[in-house]
Amino acid sequence: MRPTHSGTMSKLKNKKRNLEENEDEQLPIFDKDGGKDGHLDDGDEDQGDLSDSEESVFSGLEESGSDSDDEEEEEEDGSEEKSSDVEEDKAADGDGDDQLSAKEVIEPQTDGQHSKEKKKKKKAAGKEGGEESVASDRDSGLQISSQVDEYEHDTSDEEDIRNTVGNIPMEWYKDYPHIGYDLEGKKIFKPIRNKDELDEFLDKMENPDYWRTVQDKMTGADIRLSDEQVDLVHRLQQGKFGDVNFNEYEPAIDFFSNEVMIHPVTNRPQDKRSFIPSLIEKEKVGKLVHAIKMGWIKPHRPKETTPQYYDLWAKEDPNSILGRHKMHIPAPKMKLPGHEESYNPPPEYLMSEEERLAWEQQDPEYRKLSFLPQKLACLRAVPAYSRFIHERFERCLDLYLCPRQRKMRVNVNPEDLIPKLPKPKDLQPFPTTQSLVYRGHSSLVRSISISPSGQWLVSGSDDCTVRFWEVSTARCLKTVEVGGAVKGVAWNPNLSICLVAVSYDDTVVLLNPGLGDRLVCTATDQLISSYEEPEEVKDQPVQWAVAEGEGHEQGHRLILKHPKAVRQVTWHGKGDYLACVIPDNGSSLQVVIHQVSKRRTQNPFRKNKGLVQCVSFHPIRPYFFVATQRYVRVYNLIKQELTKKLMANCKWISSMAIHPGGDNVICGSYDCRLAWFDLDLSTKPYKVLRQHKKALRSVAYHRHYPLFVSGSDDGNVIVCHGMVYNDLLQNPLIVPVKVLKGHTITHDLGVLDVTFHPTQPWVFSSGADGTVRLFT
Amino acid sequence: MSQVQARFFTENKKYLIDDVPFSIPAASEVTDLSGVINKLLEAKNDGHKHVEFDFLVQGQFLRTSLASRMETENISTEEVVEIEYVEKFTAPQPEECVMHDDWISSVEADSEWILTGSYDKTARIWSMEGKAVMTVAGHTDVNLYNGLSSLLLTASLDQTIMLWEWNSERNKVKARHCCRGHAGSVDTVAVDPTRTKFCSGSWDKMLKIWSAVPTEEEDEIEEPNRPRKKQKTEQMGLTRTPLMTFSGHNEAVSSVLWMDAEELCSASWDHTIRLWDAETGGQKNTITGSKVFNCISYSPLCRRLASGSTDRHVRLWDPRSKDGSLVLLSLTSHNGWVTAVRWSPSHEHQLVSGSLDNVVKLWDTRSCKAPLYDLAAHEDKVMCVDWTENGLILSGGADNKLYTYRYSACVLDAGA
Repeated sequence: MRPTHSGTMSKLKNKKRNLEENEDEQLPIFDKDGGKDGHLDDGDEDQGDLSDSEESVFSGLEESGSDSDDEEEEEEDGSEEKSSDVEEDKAADGDGDDQLSAKEVIEPQTDGQHSKEKKKKKKAAGKEGGEESVASDRDSGLQISSQVDEYEHDTSDEEDIRNTVGNIPMEWYKDYPHIGYDLEGKKIFKPIRNKDELDEFLDKMENPDYWRTVQDKMTGADIRLSDEQVDLVHRLQQGKFGDVNFNEYEPAIDFFSNEVMIHPVTNRPQDKRSFIPSLIEKEKVGKLVHAIKMGWIKPHRPKETTPQYYDLWAKEDPNSILGRHKMHIPAPKMKLPGHEESYNPPPEYLMSEEERLAWEQQDPEYRKLSFLPQKLACLRAVPAYSRFIHERFERCLDLYLCPRQRKMRVNVNPEDLIPKLPKPKDLQPFPTTQSLVYRGHSSLVRSISISPSGQWLVSGSDDCTVRFWEVSTARCLKTVEVGGAVKGVAWNPNLSICLVAVSYDDTVVLLNPGLGDRLVCTATDQLISSYEEPEEVKDQPVQWAVAEGEGHEQGHRLILKHPKAVRQVTWHGKGDYLACVIPDNGSSLQVVIHQVSKRRTQNPFRKNKGLVQCVSFHPIRPYFFVATQRYVRVYNLIKQELTKKLMANCKWISSMAIHPGGDNVICGSYDCRLAWFDLDLSTKPYKVLRQHKKALRSVAYHRHYPLFVSGSDDGNVIVCHGMVYNDLLQNPLIVPVKVLKGHTITHDLGVLDVTFHPTQPWVFSSGADGTVRLFT
Repeated sequence: MSQVQARFFTENKKYLIDDVPFSIPAASEVTDLSGVINKLLEAKNDGHKHVEFDFLVQGQFLRTSLASRMETENISTEEVVEIEYVEKFTAPQPEECVMHDDWISSVEADSEWILTGSYDKTARIWSMEGKAVMTVAGHTDVNLYNGLSSLLLTASLDQTIMLWEWNSERNKVKARHCCRGHAGSVDTVAVDPTRTKFCSGSWDKMLKIWSAVPTEEEDEIEEPNRPRKKQKTEQMGLTRTPLMTFSGHNEAVSSVLWMDAEELCSASWDHTIRLWDAETGGQKNTITGSKVFNCISYSPLCRRLASGSTDRHVRLWDPRSKDGSLVLLSLTSHNGWVTAVRWSPSHEHQLVSGSLDNVVKLWDTRSCKAPLYDLAAHEDKVMCVDWTENGLILSGGADNKLYTYRYSACVLDAGA
């Protein structure tokens, strides 16, 4: 509002002002008073008023300029002076230009000094003229504002005897005893001031109001500032507004914006150019007309008639069950009022005392009636229904929440969703109970293996012994000591060879246990002793040695020294090849295959493809399975190539077993899973079983029965029925049938190895508790 | 139903009472009924001593109250109940406990001597009082089985059977023959009733019949390294070869016995019991079970086969039944594999069984729900049991102990 408006307004006023006094245009006086602005806004007919008011302002100005008596009186009467000052403040508060007005308002405190200085410097005028003029400008501005206030309050100026020298630098009177002239032209003398520095000092020390005493320059009198004035000074010094009530952060209203208003804010007449047609537009139109004439622009382009709406229900089949028309459910109707709602219900509807008590105690939700039937004398006595709004709300809820469509619910019996698995009872035989415990080992039994005839069992333990057991009686027939904790034992699957491979530390020993057919045992010994060194000796990664002396007495026949610790040993089905796992992440020599008859060793893999966990030979075909941490790789031994890579979807494979048919593989992992792979189906697991609570340590297939078993750290052995069909279309049937418990958990380890009896549906498990158990 | 009409009868002439129906309380149990009979007998003859009786209702021992029994058996309470009473079998009295050096794998006894086979590769002869009479050492491996009186047979894991001659007066044992031919451990031998032949069953799935008559000449066998063997035969006796070999089992033969002079019966790990004609070697019958058979026993009195298998049941079979696999009765009380069964030689209803659960149980087939007595003396697996004609029950096990029990009731009851 201010800038332009004040600009325009000030023009008008300044004309007069310039006539009457040499007032600076910058004076913000006209901005100050909203009330006056309102007057001005009223229109031109108020011109008379406006001039009046302005005259009054200017008359005030004149007065302010001439008043010296006033200030003298101010000296006399502090209270009056105070009030006038306050009024000054008020006037200043109306100002929008903060800085300027602030300065102006600051002035009063120095006014006295100024005036004194003026008096002192009066004679030595001239030098500081510019500065003084600015100061006086300010003074006059201040005075004007104060005069405006005076005028409003209609304070008479007759007793106000003031300095009438006019708007001159008071320094000019500096050297004179007087400070100006009164109306009669007599000199106005300065108050007697003969204070020297000592007086000044004493005054400073003794007068408690010294700090708030200033000198009026105009009159040379000392003025004691009131509390309000001091407060004002403090506020201004802090850069705040003088008025306590002024809100400097009022929302600004932008009247002069791009928006066209119905009622003009200003009275400015419209420009001429708003009446005359625009030449530029004419030119533009001309160009368009020309373009239309030339056919460059087609004025009436046929509109594209795309339908804005389409039939939402067009595609709906009128005969469908879920058709909209059939689905319509009318909104629930309100119950019609009954006798109990009557104002004068039959007595049987009225509640007895007990009924009423029961009703009150009942939860509002379960009440049969939501109100108490009442008997009233006449209809006029019926009170206002207090639950009306509540009831309406409930009705709305009823309408809102009631079903709007009939739901076609499919009734699915949850039982049907469970796959139809045969009952374990029908899948017999499978091991169900613990029958025998083979006790003797003093430390955990890491590995067990059963002779191909099923009569003997061999177990290798951390107590550095290998024990041979009679299966049917749990009798330990033989104990062979070896030089380290036994990691793996494997009985040669060939019936005509009696050999057991035992791995401990970096050594694999082939033992002849001397059990079973004596002819076979002697034949095996002969086979080993009849070996003849080939003429050319190849450099082999493994050292072959024949056991002598005491070792030979115990049954040791051949000793194979490996570069690193051997974890697993496994025989090929024919019994001539022996694969050993030497887990070592940094080396390519992780798997070695020994040929016992020729005492040869080969390293089938040139590259290290991860830490090998276990290996296995395919039972029929020349394939070789290598399980690393996450994958099982199937190699064709004849073609010397990778055939398949099975993704186990688990973190760390611990064990692996190949189905005797050769097309299915199970993998146990340390993350409690057992994955069944159907090699014909996919490289991903066909089924993943998570039955164990802890890491799986060992898995095994039965050679004849459709059974497989898994042993875990939780001490349980879980037997599953795993039927593989000859029909390629039928997927294997996997049914968990039995959890076998028995092993006690020792050092957080439960079952370490499991194996099946070759002919009976019996499972052996070896555990960390140093026992081997037979479940039948 | 408080009173029932009952008629008591017995086959024992000693305890006959009048054949009249009595009205007895339905809730009465065995002791009550026993009291009734004793009162009746006292009334009949003055010199009667109190005898405990057992009662049979429809051929089954009464173990609960009469009322509940009649309810389960669906016997009408309106009619007169026929109750048979027999003298109560007294518990077997433990007699001897003979310590061995190792597990006892087999035991056999006659009226004078006890022959045991042990895992310390010896067979021992003991007197009835438990005195070690003789130790027969010769096998190179675990000893298993034995037989005969003056001729002993020992079969071993070393795949041989030795025929020994024992002179009881001079207490000397001489190895007469070493029977070679089996390709697996010999698990069982049985001598035929005529005592001229014996049969052996082995882990190599074969049954072989050998002559049990000691001769002075060696059977002709083709030994490649004869001189070495010759030396051995000085110690081990003459080598003998089998007369016949029966093959047919798919798994190890665990038990063999002669049913009579012409008929052999063998049980095997292939879940079958086979009957063989000993003369021709043909299979006569096959009984198929569902579990591995550990042992069989045949009673000529009741003509039943009892089998112990790798579950906890003792099963009774009729070897004559043509449809094969019919189990007549299952006796279930054991908690482990049944490793040994033996019919009573003198009582048609009673048998004894030993199991891996350390218990020997005495059964009466008339009381099939529970055994008559549990003989729980063993501290480890029971491996073998035997029952002699003079009423001695023997059992040996993995705790190296041989227990003998005197079971007198069966002798008294023999006439019943």
